[in-house]
Amino acid sequence: MEPTFRILPVLENKKLGPYNKITMKDVQIYAHAECGNFVMIGLQGFDPYLSRPFSFLEGNRTSFSILLKVKGRGTELLSKVKKGDKLKVLGPLGKIFCPPKEGILIAGGIGIAPVYYQSRWMKGGVLFYGAKRKKDLILTREFKDKGFTVRTITEEDGGLVTDLLKEYTDELDGKQIFVCGTKGMIKSIKGILNKEQIEKAYVYVEERMGCGLGGCKSCAVKTFEGYKLVCTEGPIFPLKEVKFD
Amino acid sequence: MIDLSTKLGSLELQNPVLLASGVWDFPYTKIIDFKRLGGVICKGVSPFPKEGNPPPRITETHCGLINSIGLENKGFDYFECEILPELKKLGTKIFVNIFGESIEEFKEIASKIKEVAGVEVNISCPNVSKGGEKFGKDPKMVFSITKAVCGETDLPVIVKLSPSVENIEETAQAAKEGGAMAVTASNTFPGLVIDLESKRPLFKRITGGLSGPAIKPLALYNVYRIKNAVDIPIIGSGGISDYKDVLEYFIAGASAVQLGSIIFNNPLAPIEILDNLICWLGEKGYKNLKDVNKK
Repeated sequence: MEPTFRILPVLENKKLGPYNKITMKDVQIYAHAECGNFVMIGLQGFDPYLSRPFSFLEGNRTSFSILLKVKGRGTELLSKVKKGDKLKVLGPLGKIFCPPKEGILIAGGIGIAPVYYQSRWMKGGVLFYGAKRKKDLILTREFKDKGFTVRTITEEDGGLVTDLLKEYTDELDGKQIFVCGTKGMIKSIKGILNKEQIEKAYVYVEERMGCGLGGCKSCAVKTFEGYKLVCTEGPIFPLKEVKFD
Repeated sequence: MIDLSTKLGSLELQNPVLLASGVWDFPYTKIIDFKRLGGVICKGVSPFPKEGNPPPRITETHCGLINSIGLENKGFDYFECEILPELKKLGTKIFVNIFGESIEEFKEIASKIKEVAGVEVNISCPNVSKGGEKFGKDPKMVFSITKAVCGETDLPVIVKLSPSVENIEETAQAAKEGGAMAVTASNTFPGLVIDLESKRPLFKRITGGLSGPAIKPLALYNVYRIKNAVDIPIIGSGGISDYKDVLEYFIAGASAVQLGSIIFNNPLAPIEILDNLICWLGEKGYKNLKDVNKK
């Protein structure tokens, strides 16, 4: 669907693990959103001046929600919205992607949001999910209910998601793999997957974004074919295409 | 019926609201009705492809943003085959922003631009190591480049001035003497952001270009200074966010305006500004934009 720019009221802002789950009233945007799509969300006025890109988390005919992690001043201001506050919402944005019915999802921290949204189109597979602390792990019950095998690990336990992948590397063979996490995590994962696994792996790329519509050329990601824009050519890229410094 | 039309030298625009170079691309046509705009200036085109600067390329500031894009573009050949035909379908006046690293490159690209409303000469980008504001700070270079471009094209030539000069009147005068039809005042202001984690400048090229409401009084003052010193049409650009800002630029001496960063904050701003201008003029009993400057 063509993106639209709307002012949407907040229905709910509640804690989900260490994050804020913000739900907005909407009958248009989510109804037409597909896998790979995201939204730009901002406060009205000039503070913060720019909107921020968010993955959809989930939604229905009358609302959708996003997951927010406070990282800086902008996300802190956004985290304080209350029921009834109005948000600027631009979407759906991004290049759509046809997800497999079954596959491997790998998430680190808040990277759980896009893969959870993707699971909307899936019937099962395996979720590898790493977080800092046990209490930061969210939505594991929901993944299990959707038919996923859920494998979790936390830094509290002294492990990283890459340790899990090494242990269960056979489970990745022949499946499409989707990764969402920090650049460091993605780089480490690329380092431990074999050639055949990398061929079938995709990554959700995050970058500072100005407009979401390809106008400002800010959200550049280095690929083997030169810079590409996360907002219009992503956010999902083949893992083999992305270059890491 | 309120008439929003305005003149830039010999060029008539249906209204004064233009989209600036480097802030929009075709996906914006899904949000903004381009037929309603006075015109658009496309992203800077250079004779050869430019990769642009490494990320991060953007960060927010109070009431604005700083960018370090570095004139990313795929070069003239790609522009001519892939972009220009699409630009012509937009149903609004098209100005092509051109960029070169030497006078020769400016001549080369100026000679190739055809079938558009005009050319905007970019000698003021603060985010490149060759050309850009280095040219725009030197009145002699401004004159030489403008003259060279005007010698290669019959299209109206607009020169986008750098704000990083002591006397913007001098560079505006140099553009006029070089044959420019109008000047754009002004480009982004160089600025610095420090990343507290690394304790280093955020951008790899150290500085970026500051834009948004934070720079409006500075850019507005540039328009005022040029208006009082040089007889040349001025396109005001810098921090315009609403119709009141447009009116301020008009009263300061602009004949048209460019909207930039505001479309990141509110992509509907250009249309809201046009609607609100019509309302304001109507409420004041004015029939057209010229009446704004009547005493």
